Amino acid sequence: MIGRFTRAIVAVTALGTLTATAACGVDSGDGGSSGGTGKSKALKVGWSTIYLTPSWMQQTDKMIKDDVAKLKKDGKVADYQVFNANGDTSQQIAQIRAMIQQKYDVILVDAGSSTALNPALEQAANAGITVVNFDSLVTSEKVVRVGTDQTEWGRMMGQWLGETLGGKGKIIAFNGPAGVAVSEQRWKGAEEALKKFPGIKVVSNVHSEYNLAPAAQAFASAYSANPDIDGVFSQGGALSAAALQTLVKQKKKLVPITGENYNGFLKLWQQNKDAGFSSLSTAQPNYLGVIALRAAVAKAGGATVPNQITVPLPKITNENLSEYVKPDQPDDSYPIQELPQSEIDKLIGK
Amino acid sequence: MPDRLTGALRGNVDVAGLGALLVVLLAVYSHYDSEVFTPASITILSAQFLPLILAAMGQSTVMLAGGIDLSLGSVLALAMAVFAVRAEDGVVLAAVLALLAAAATGAANGVLVAYAGLPPIIVTLAASFLWGGVTLVVLPQPGGSVPSGLVKAYNNGWNGIALPALAIVLVLVLWKVVRTTRFGLSLYAVGGNEHGAYASGIATRKVKISAYALAGVFIGLAGIGLAVQTGSGDATIGAPYTLNSIAASVLAGVSFFGGVGQMRATVLAALLIGLLTNLLLFTGLSPFYQLIMQGAVLIVAIAVKTFATRERTD
Repeated sequence: MIGRFTRAIVAVTALGTLTATAACGVDSGDGGSSGGTGKSKALKVGWSTIYLTPSWMQQTDKMIKDDVAKLKKDGKVADYQVFNANGDTSQQIAQIRAMIQQKYDVILVDAGSSTALNPALEQAANAGITVVNFDSLVTSEKVVRVGTDQTEWGRMMGQWLGETLGGKGKIIAFNGPAGVAVSEQRWKGAEEALKKFPGIKVVSNVHSEYNLAPAAQAFASAYSANPDIDGVFSQGGALSAAALQTLVKQKKKLVPITGENYNGFLKLWQQNKDAGFSSLSTAQPNYLGVIALRAAVAKAGGATVPNQITVPLPKITNENLSEYVKPDQPDDSYPIQELPQSEIDKLIGK
Repeated sequence: MPDRLTGALRGNVDVAGLGALLVVLLAVYSHYDSEVFTPASITILSAQFLPLILAAMGQSTVMLAGGIDLSLGSVLALAMAVFAVRAEDGVVLAAVLALLAAAATGAANGVLVAYAGLPPIIVTLAASFLWGGVTLVVLPQPGGSVPSGLVKAYNNGWNGIALPALAIVLVLVLWKVVRTTRFGLSLYAVGGNEHGAYASGIATRKVKISAYALAGVFIGLAGIGLAVQTGSGDATIGAPYTLNSIAASVLAGVSFFGGVGQMRATVLAALLIGLLTNLLLFTGLSPFYQLIMQGAVLIVAIAVKTFATRERTD
């Protein structure tokens, strides 16, 4: 009898949870559907991202939200919603389909896979939705893509490292996760550039997540096998920080390491600049998200927007390092100057 | 309640419970998407859910035999990669290759579990790294391509027929047939009581290997489904399916200790999980609360199920 009673309680709780889900939705569902009608209709905008938790994404989220607030004031955006796929590409496909069904006007996408989202995004575009993809790009040419040239990123870094080492020496290549398009592209560019320096030998090619703790472990083991290296090609800020940290901790020779605008790395760089450490860093700027949003709003408003918007890669060098590094901010942030509106307009072809 | 009705309900408590939950969920769902019951929506939704449903069926097969498959996501990605790489030269051959690869990986797991006596959780965990690496060799970065006609037919329907829904029905029928064979009966027997099954003359090792291989076929089908859905292959896409397939199987009432569970319930449970995640997208909750909701609903549903079945052994 008691068993049956408990079961009844649990069943009621379950139904309650579901009803609560329903209830939460009833409010927001009704609020969202009554959009403004006018000459230039305010847009319903959604951002589907593969991750929301990394600090880069958080910063991007904040930048987009700030810009949405401005656009709302101008009456150009009515509703803004963020969807987090939490690393699950299939979930991201579901999000895009849900946004199509919910008749969004604009879909912004930071893609979890360079190919898997294509059919869903093209379906959205065919349904008349303005689709703009930024940061992690898809291969489909039917959506507007806003990004940096990842191959150029690798090429630029490879070139600098080759020149800095005077064309000879042993290096460790420190790449992102295997099988991820961005990582493969950056490494492809680096390999191209390094080909020009036959005296440079890649003694180890390490893959790691773009995350400090696993990167530090991966680098430490590669370095202990090759302690006599002359440089490191690293393609991400956390990776570079992990590599430099290892050298500093073990009190080894500070060889050149390429990097990214990850504040933890920039701080370490500045601390060790006088000890002879040098680097070239670039950035996947957070304002890509803002450019994507602006491009989408312009396109939805009838303007012509180029299908491919390539944002130039910033260069952080020994000389201008102090303009970028933010000693008072956490390691896990990505200091970058905001792009002036005039520059954004130029990029989206206004 | 009449005895006959309670009897029937008791035999199908999982299916009935999940069915009831599904009805509630669909009612709420139709509030957000009034077109959910139109053929177009059914096609889109079934296209979206097919990979998870098939993966869950694979996981359930292994769990029925008393095992668990942590390599499911890697094998799914492997089948997807093999299919996407070869699909341009002929879809049928590519599908056969992908299924063979997936079945072979399953059989390999089965051999290690049955003959070497290694715990399934360890064998399949190691296998997940192994096949993850092999997948990267097959497809180092996202790519490959599936004929666009097939992608369209799958995602948008073919002559008004929802191909993915049809596929689910076909696979269920296939399972029904397998279930009535000597192997099907042995599978439940081995999962439920291995020593008993052995004592009564069942070749338990062969049954286990076949169970893992059959699971490989389901997982391979899931990989092919995902490749057709996305029109491509991606080595990194499979990972979430491992845990989601376990969640669906557990929700369906498939026992971790083997021998108990119904495939119909697994299909319903996978559908339920898929619909629930979609529904949470509609509600406009903050993304982080969506995760909390998703987890909470799963725990509550599994708790209900556990309490409901506990009575059977009272």
